[in-house]
Parts: sequence; C-alpha cells; structure tokens
Amino acid sequence: MKVETLIIGSGVAAAALAQRLLAKNPNASILMLEAGRKVKMQDAAIWQDYVVSGKLPYTQYYDLPYPERDQPGENLSAGTTAVPLDGSRALTYGGSTIHWGGWSFRLKPEDFALRTNTGHSLDWPISYTDLEPYYSQAEHYIGVSGDSNDPTVPRHCDYPFPAFPYTLEDQPAAEAMAALGMAYSHLPIARHGITDTTSRHAPCQTTGTCKYCPFGARYSANNFLDDMQNWGNFPGLQIRLNSIVQEISMRSRQQAGGVVYLDRETGQQVMVEADRIIVAAGTLESTKLLLRSRSDHWQQGIGNDHDLVGRNIVTHPYFIFSGSAPGNPLKLQPEMNFPTLCSRHFDSPAEQAKGKFILINPPGSPSVNLLSKMQAGVSRLDMDRYVTGPRQIQLHGMVEIFSEPQNRIANIDKLNHLGMQETLVDFGQAAGFDPRMQEIQGHVQRLFEAMGATMNAKPTISWRADHAACTLRMSDDESEGVTDRHMRVHGVDNLYVCSNATFPSTGAVNPTLTLAALALRLGDHLNHATGQP
Amino acid sequence: MYQTPAKHPLSAELPALDDATYAAMWALFCHIGQYWQNMPDPEPFRSQLYSFMLNRINLRPVYRDYYLFAAATLRGLIEQHGEDGAYAFLFTDTDANKAPPETALAVTRQKVANEFMALQLSLGGFKAFGAVNYCGFIGGANIPGQAAPYRTLEADHEG
Repeated sequence: MKVETLIIGSGVAAAALAQRLLAKNPNASILMLEAGRKVKMQDAAIWQDYVVSGKLPYTQYYDLPYPERDQPGENLSAGTTAVPLDGSRALTYGGSTIHWGGWSFRLKPEDFALRTNTGHSLDWPISYTDLEPYYSQAEHYIGVSGDSNDPTVPRHCDYPFPAFPYTLEDQPAAEAMAALGMAYSHLPIARHGITDTTSRHAPCQTTGTCKYCPFGARYSANNFLDDMQNWGNFPGLQIRLNSIVQEISMRSRQQAGGVVYLDRETGQQVMVEADRIIVAAGTLESTKLLLRSRSDHWQQGIGNDHDLVGRNIVTHPYFIFSGSAPGNPLKLQPEMNFPTLCSRHFDSPAEQAKGKFILINPPGSPSVNLLSKMQAGVSRLDMDRYVTGPRQIQLHGMVEIFSEPQNRIANIDKLNHLGMQETLVDFGQAAGFDPRMQEIQGHVQRLFEAMGATMNAKPTISWRADHAACTLRMSDDESEGVTDRHMRVHGVDNLYVCSNATFPSTGAVNPTLTLAALALRLGDHLNHATGQP
Repeated sequence: MYQTPAKHPLSAELPALDDATYAAMWALFCHIGQYWQNMPDPEPFRSQLYSFMLNRINLRPVYRDYYLFAAATLRGLIEQHGEDGAYAFLFTDTDANKAPPETALAVTRQKVANEFMALQLSLGGFKAFGAVNYCGFIGGANIPGQAAPYRTLEADHEG
C-alpha cells in the first residue's frame, strides 16, 4: 500500500492538518493511522449515564496509574517528581480532544523569545507575528467563543463567536481582582456559538456536561473527522483505527519510506509506504516513535544524533488554592461546566524569568453540590441552609516551567493495556519551583483576603502530563532542536512532527490552540511544497 | 444525536416493562419533588423519565431488573410505612446508601432513587435552590443581544 501523505494520530493536529490539505486538494491521498478505537459520541443514553453517575465512555482509554505495591499499573515514573499519565490523555480516535476543556489561549509575543528574554530554554524559530494569522484561522477552525476586544494579545481578526458573559460565580474573584489592580478577562473557550453561516456544528447549549457534550458543540477532532469522512467528498482520505505504528522505516538517511503498524484486529504487521509522513501522535507517542525507529541510518533513533529526542519535557503544574468564606447570600453555585473568567495579569514579560502563571476562577467554586445532599437524605430546610451557608471556594491556575535536558521520556520494552509500548518518565522539579509557588501563594492570599475568604493551607499541585511538550523542539540549529521551523525533522526531507513536542517552550497557557495554528501552518507549507499554495 | 443510539445487544431481547412498573417509577419520581419541594409540577417530565429508563436499560440491561425490583420494594415499603412514610424512609435511611448495595432497599435507593434525583435536578429541580442553570440542564445558547442562560455578573463589573 502506498499513499501520498501518512498522518500518525487523529487528534486536533491530524484533523486540522488533513482539513487544510484537503481544502486545497480534495482528492489528496491521505491515510490516517490511529492506535485507538472509536467512542460513540452525542449519544443520549451515554450522556444520561454521565449526568447521573459521572461515568465517561472513554476513560478505559486512559493510561493506568503507575505501578504500586498492590496494583500492577503501567508506565514508569523514574524521577523525583511524579508526572502522572493516567487521565492526562485519551488514547482513542480524536485523541485528547475527546476530553479536553477547550481552553483556547494564544501564547503571548514574549513567549516566542524566552531565551532572549530570560536565558531559559530556547527561543521559537518563528515569532508571534508569524503565527498570528494561523491563530485566527485556528480559532475559526475549532470554533472559539472569546472577547475580540481583549487586549491581552494582538489580533487582526475577531473570534468567530462572542465571549460567554461572566457567571455570577465570578463576582467575588472579579471584584477582588479589580480591587487589587489585577487585570482579568474572558476565558476563550472552544464552544461553538450561533452563526449565520452553514455549519454542521451545533452551538453550545450551556448544558454543563462538556466532557461528553450531547451536541458536539465543544471541538472534538473525532466529530470533525467523522464529518470529513461522511460529508466531505474526499475520496482519498482513509482513517484506520486500531493501528499501532511500530516504527518509521527509512529509504535512506534523508528519506522516510513508510511505517510498519500493528493491525490490532488481525494481529498482522502491515507496511505502508508514503511520500511524506507526519507524526501527530501527541508528545509522548510521537517522541517514542522516533526513538524506537532505529536503523543503520539513525542508530539512536530518527533525529536523535544529538541525544535530544525525548529530553527537555515540560508540563504545566496545575495548582488549586482552596479557602472558606463565611456565607453565600447570592446562593452562588455551579451553573456552567467551564470557567468564564481568567487572569493573565502575571502572564507578562515582568514575570517571564520566574515562570509566568495564569489564574482561573473555576466553575465549581463555590462548591455547592445539591445532588450529594439530596442523595444523602438531607432535608429541604437543611439544604437551604447549606446553599446560603459558609462556602468553600477555589482559585486555580498553572505556571510555566522551563525545559531541562535531564527531564526526559523514553520507551519501555513492555506493552500497556491497549497494546502500545509503555512510557518511562524521568522528571524532577527544579529547585526554584517551591519558592515560585510561595510567591504565587502570596498573590492568591491577597485575592482570598479581598474576597473575605480564609486560605486553607498549601495548594494542591498536579504535575499530570496533560500539557506535556518540548521533547522534539523546533530550532533552526539542529544541535539544539530536533525539528526545524516547519516541524520537519532535521536531516530528513519528508518527515514532520505536528505535536506539542515541537514547542520550544509552552508559556503559561494551554497548548491546543497553538498546536492547531501550527497544524494549519504546516498544511500551508506542505501545500506550497506540492505546488498547491 | 445523529448517530445510532448506544444499545447493549441483550437489551433488544428483553420484554418491555409493564405499566405497573412505569407507574411505580413515576410515583417515585414525583415523590422526590414532593419531599424536597423542588418540582411543583412534574407532569411535563413524565416522558423524559420513561425515556431515561429506556436509555438505562438499553445501555445496561440489568436496569430492567432494578426497576422491577424497586417497584416491588416500594410496594412493601408502602404497606409498612404508608405512602409518604415509605418514600421518606427510602430517601433518608442511611444504611440504604452503603455501597455496594446488598439489600433490596439499598438497590432501590442507589440504583434507582439516587439516579432519579440526579435526573430530577437536571430537569429543573435545581431551580428551587436559586440558580438559573445547572450541569445537566439544557440551558440554551449564548445568543448575542439576549440574556445569557445563566446568572451573570452585572455589566458594570466587567473589567
């Protein structure tokens, strides 16, 4: 079998790239290989199951927790800081967009010059200005609702849909931030809105069950891929599920020839030849695939002559500060499932050297849970007292950390419960992290005081690998980066990586919008290379 | 909902629930609203309750047995406590909430009543507690020029 373009993975990067290639050439020959299976979407019974029991139909495609004494688990955490994989990604058709929150931030201009500004990590080989048009296209592609007048980042094009108004739950945090001079803004969120153009994507109905949207209003790559297959009239587009790519084979040192994948349905190893290959399998799997594709041409794995593949991994430590406030006269309670207020006040050039951070007013603050009270048999009178009584509040956020070469990932010669090679994560937090968190705590403490709340001890911090990145960084200098400014693997003419792995740094915000922008940009680059600009 | 509904292969083989069981489940649903005074008129939601039950059975066939079992359990409770007393006992007995459910009462509480409470809140029962929207409630779209389908921060607060 031979195809023009082989894409490994089926998440947002793969879907956006395929969409861009097919927009220029509807007859393009594209094969997408996805290791996972299909989860039924927009199904009433599954949705109601989630509403009443909290069960989601795709958690079986999460990594298992790391092994513990009484639990075999999978993968291996070898460093001093555990970076959990379970729950961080979904190994299924559509990738992690099947469960993502849809927070769709742009990086800020200074993020592209991290080393120049601070001495940390790397600069991006492209600037914000280079990527800005693609940010706009990505916002339209995934359907972002946002405030087009928000001055946080420069933009030349409005969001496709207006921002969701702040919830009443945002009031305490908004007033506290205003009192302290901390800027806040609408959180840009991938939820389709009302449009006067033809769209197959229903608008968000504020149903509050975003992890399994009954309408498909939150971007999920599998919905878009289904639409491309069912309605797109793309005869050359093929998507194969249950196909675990084992290795990339090389025709020569400079030319990738194809891949070998395991067809899980037949148990057969299948060879596919391709004119060009795009690895879009997420940070961990993209990196591991290059590492295990060893040959006489690339004895340490493709692109790994400088021992960079898999190194420099970062993620975003996600922190949760909790506190208690004396009463809840407005009966504030979760009315939405996604946040509407964020602050990028500390996501600024002044904070860059120490690690920028953002703050989020989460939708579950205050934590009023009517259902748990009813199910516990609490009387109506006591429920009314509960709703108006002392409330537990939270502020969430995440902070940028910097790449360090000793932090790395690799393959383990063992298969996980889905038949994929397990992952070694060797990570240790930097010495400066705890002091940085103490500074952040000081800022949040002032906010809590302004809200009339008392902070409960230290924050909880999750190092989960949701935003794992930087293991195949872009750089024009191949001694510093695995991929070039077009995400092409240095030294190979027809092998690209479209993943957060190519980010030289991550800033303080979720990476998905940036990844979608990079995918569209790569699509244009490839279209241009094949004479179809 | 344009895809084929999820359905367990065994569900198609099951006989339909009888009217008495549907009636018993409807009475249970109504008594949730009566006990917590959060749904004065449940009638508009009758068909949604029945759809919900069918969806549960389609996804997990054992739910047919749960509903039959719950109807029988409720008959016994009503004989023992009278109608209002039976539901109050079902909703408040602490032993009935111990997991895993190992008694008839516990199965009725955890597999049926507790789920009906979640459904009832999401169909509008939450409004009695002061909110306009709720996770699971189809509040509506964010339409420019119209009020948001949830309580919002006043415009003069916006930064």
